Amino acid sequence: MLRKMIDRWMVVGVLLALSAATLSHAKLLAAEPQQDDFVQMIVQLIANPDQDFRAAALEQVRSAAAGAEATKRFAAQLTRLDAPGLVALLSALADRGDVAARPAVLNLLASSRDESVRAAAIAALGKLGQPEDLPLLVKALSAKSTAERAAARASLTQIRGETITQSLAAELKSASPDVKAALIEVLATRRATEELPTFVAATVDDNAQVRGAAMAALGQIGQPGQIAAMLPGVLKAKKGAERDAAEKNVALVCARIANENERAEALIQAVDAIDPAQRDELLSLVGRVGGKKLINFVASIATGEDAARRKLAIDALSKWPDASVADKLLEIAEKAHYPEERTQAFQGYVKIAATRDKRSDRQRLDRMKQAMTVARTPEERSLVINRARTAYDVETLRFVLPYLDQPQFAQVACETIVELAHHREVRDPNKAEFDKALDKVIQIAKNPVLVDRANRYKRGETWERPAKRAS
Amino acid sequence: MLDEAFEALKKFDWGTDVAAVAPIDDAVAATHGQADARRDLEQRLVAALGGKLSRDAQDYVCRKLAIIGTAAAVPALASRLGAPHHSHMARFALERMPAPEAAQALRDALPKVTGDLKIGVLSSIGARRDKAAIAAVSGLLSDNDPSIATAAAHALGAIGGAKSAQALAAARPSKSSKPAVIDAQLACAESLLAEKNEAEAMKIYQSLAGDHQGRLVRLAATRGMLACASKQG
Repeated sequence: MLRKMIDRWMVVGVLLALSAATLSHAKLLAAEPQQDDFVQMIVQLIANPDQDFRAAALEQVRSAAAGAEATKRFAAQLTRLDAPGLVALLSALADRGDVAARPAVLNLLASSRDESVRAAAIAALGKLGQPEDLPLLVKALSAKSTAERAAARASLTQIRGETITQSLAAELKSASPDVKAALIEVLATRRATEELPTFVAATVDDNAQVRGAAMAALGQIGQPGQIAAMLPGVLKAKKGAERDAAEKNVALVCARIANENERAEALIQAVDAIDPAQRDELLSLVGRVGGKKLINFVASIATGEDAARRKLAIDALSKWPDASVADKLLEIAEKAHYPEERTQAFQGYVKIAATRDKRSDRQRLDRMKQAMTVARTPEERSLVINRARTAYDVETLRFVLPYLDQPQFAQVACETIVELAHHREVRDPNKAEFDKALDKVIQIAKNPVLVDRANRYKRGETWERPAKRAS
Repeated sequence: MLDEAFEALKKFDWGTDVAAVAPIDDAVAATHGQADARRDLEQRLVAALGGKLSRDAQDYVCRKLAIIGTAAAVPALASRLGAPHHSHMARFALERMPAPEAAQALRDALPKVTGDLKIGVLSSIGARRDKAAIAAVSGLLSDNDPSIATAAAHALGAIGGAKSAQALAAARPSKSSKPAVIDAQLACAESLLAEKNEAEAMKIYQSLAGDHQGRLVRLAATRGMLACASKQG
């Protein structure tokens, strides 16, 4: 308390003395001494223990008292403050953007062991750094501290200089896998299109992290010319999340070809260049890219002689980006000789039919009604009731409502009705009808969250969907 | 049409269809830039104000005079400043009229009105930024009624400038009006800074930066001092 008071008196005293000196002789003094006093005022305030007073000074650091000399005096305070003060001053110096502060920032980075200070110093180098700081920033990409790594990545993305991109690409050659992955991300964010061949080469790296980063980079800035070169990367990706991500990135690059037929042609050519023994593995990718030209090709495999190929092709049709394959999937489901194929095709049909693409809600609902008429098992009917929730229409409520009275479907029908009621634009114009349905949900739903939501929607309140957990 | 509207004005009251008096609104717009037509319209409005009108009709006339009123309308408006039900709309008009006579009318009314009406007149003087009223307003800083002392401080802050600042600095405010005096001092400093009179602004900020002031006042003063110094530097 006493120390705070002394500090406060000291600052106020200095302010009073300096400002009086500055202004009483304002017209007599030359510009430089006036600025000197102003800088001194700011310097004193930077050390103020009250963060609002400090912020007032830092506002001046950001924009006032132009010139390298003032910058150096502000930067000199980097040796005198506590950690929060240092972090704030580093941010202000970075915003000031005067490279005269760089040596002090580098010195602080070399001497400080405080994680927040080091991260702030690394972040400041994004605006104040020079090409010769690259090794230091690259090294920080493998720091133990998450904050330092994130700051290094941001600074490497931000740092200016004509040779930066080339230098980063050179660093790639000798970098460890995690640093290599980070550098690829940085280069992609810097939109370093001249490094596309480097990214392509990295798509078949032995390290999954590097492969993933390279594929993501190509997904961000790759061009149709890279489609064929990306396919070995898709094949090298482990099945599961990595393969899915790789396929999505190729699909992103394909999507840069506006014409649907040309897009399909480019993919066919690329697939043709792959060893025939491996081509079937790319069917899933073909499905993600979609297009009318490819439907019959994939459908012919889905109805062919080879069971393993049929499975891959049905999977591919189920990943189609639009509903153009819906009829084909329904046909396959209806004619399937094996129950597992029937199930796979039916599930694919319902998934595609429920996709929120350019079709109207009524069209989506019509597809669901069609699915219900051909559904054979309770599981299939339950799936249709579940996915009907993607058709935001009061007619969907009327379609699902009767299932509340069938015990085996009642709970899934409750879920779908509550999901429909979530959409105010559907609920409000049909409030009486929804209220009646929600009353029934409240009565029979076993899930307390559904009951809570139903009550809220009846009262016209909203409900916040919990964020999905990061996988 | 206009004659009919002035006739309708005599019966105009809360809930009456405003369409009946709309030709007066139209005339206000149509006479823009036509001095003679404006003068005629103003005379008719002033005459109407002297007649027997409902309170709503009188308020309506004051709104129109706020737009087209000149020195000729001031006596009619000034006479209403002491009337509890009409003072507000009279000030509404006088506050907005460019004629110096309107400012004089408010200054003249200040010693004559009391209580809420005095607070209102002080507010209008502040809104007009009437430097000629500084002495009269300053005298009220020590008024026994803390609301009037506070209103006087606010008015001086709104008027701004070095003289207002001097009056505020010399004041010995009561505990309840002290925050208003400090606010007004800061407002004066800002107006001086805007006028590029950094030296005077700095004096005010310095006087408020001491440890005897509250934290937020010291913070505002410090920010002001930095702003002054940055403009000097």
